[in-house]
Amino acid sequence: MRVSEGESARPEGGEQYLNDLLTRVARGDQAAFEAVYDTLAGPVYGLINRVVRDPAQSEEVSQEVLLEVWRTAARFDPAKGTAATWVMTIAHRRAVDRVRSATAAAAREVRSAEVPANNSDEVADTVAASLDAERVRRCLDGLTEPQRESITLAYYGGYSYRQVGERLGVALSTIKTRIRDGLIRMRDCLGVSW
Amino acid sequence: MALRQDLHSLAGPYALDALDSGAEQDRFERHLNRCQNCISEVRGFRKTAARLSMAAARQPPPEMRDRVMAAVARTRQVPAGDDAARHARPAARLRPLPRLAMVGGALAVLAAVVLAIALVNTQHQLNQANHQLSQAQAQLHAITAVQTATDAKVINKRTSVGGIVSVTSSASKRQMVLRTAGLPPLAAGKVYQLWLIGHLPNKIRSEGLLAPAHNGRTGPVLISGVLAGDTFGVTIEPAGGTIQPTVTPIVGIPLPS
Repeated sequence: MRVSEGESARPEGGEQYLNDLLTRVARGDQAAFEAVYDTLAGPVYGLINRVVRDPAQSEEVSQEVLLEVWRTAARFDPAKGTAATWVMTIAHRRAVDRVRSATAAAAREVRSAEVPANNSDEVADTVAASLDAERVRRCLDGLTEPQRESITLAYYGGYSYRQVGERLGVALSTIKTRIRDGLIRMRDCLGVSW
Repeated sequence: MALRQDLHSLAGPYALDALDSGAEQDRFERHLNRCQNCISEVRGFRKTAARLSMAAARQPPPEMRDRVMAAVARTRQVPAGDDAARHARPAARLRPLPRLAMVGGALAVLAAVVLAIALVNTQHQLNQANHQLSQAQAQLHAITAVQTATDAKVINKRTSVGGIVSVTSSASKRQMVLRTAGLPPLAAGKVYQLWLIGHLPNKIRSEGLLAPAHNGRTGPVLISGVLAGDTFGVTIEPAGGTIQPTVTPIVGIPLPS
């Protein structure tokens, strides 16, 4: 069972559907898990790849995350958030775990110069072309430059707010505020209910 | 009250997994237990962040699906309400990927040195006059912007004289960021010169000289004004550089457009 592109491009519309699927996964339904995979493996892999940078490690972490989704699906509580948010929260945390230690972060800097050319970079981001991605991009563009930069470094870059402050040469209190204000603006721009 | 305000502003970094230490996280989570507003704010932020991740989606390697499904078939699920395993690692380790083994301790040590040098360099810039400071920051911002651009592509290539040239380019920003590692040191009186090479032979633009390497590395160097179809190239020229390349480039990287 595959999820049509139309549905993945409209996450609001697919929200209930995904929640139901994950509830079925919690009862051991492997077909439901395959449908969850087909909808969320792209965002999971894309996000982790963005944070971790190294394609081999990204694949490894993605596999761990997707397996964790299968293993711990019973902990998903639709009252506390959507299935997509639950999965992407796990994915982001695992990616950050992977890069946050000092040596891993240093190695990542080196890898950015040393990893051999990678053909998957040439593969077009199919899902990124979707309408939703377009909207996210527009909303990102609507942030102030300092807000956008702080959020992308923290979320896509996997840096702690302290590291973001150091990189940008900005006081910590300023960075905290930028991230929060930027997220509020993003949330309102995307019309995220909460 | 001031302290509370301060804690509250951590909601953003917390939702993005951007707190520094476990201690800071614990402190905020204790606050969360008493602050219903914070809980719903964090929920909204997490949901917003999930949308950001949708925009970063990319096709995983096709063989990953089979590997995950095979692992699923042999992995037992955690029953509802099992808190003990909440922070546990996945039970079944997936087959490790061979290349990881090679990224070893030596690399990490080297990396630490490189980072230290990068930090010293940054500090040096910060110590300069104010307008230089803002210039350096603008440069850093621009470099970050290219590297976090949604259409950023990374291409790494070995040069004909050894060493690796890494180019991160963004077609939408018409900019690229260059780093190099392990380019051989040149004899006195020689320099590495950077070029953007367009379609026609007379469309070659010099992008300046490569600064001397620290620990075998250079960059990041921001290069702007990249045109569709440009190739980035490096040549070895006499000190001071030349107006047009006089020798065959040691590396040529067609930039995605």
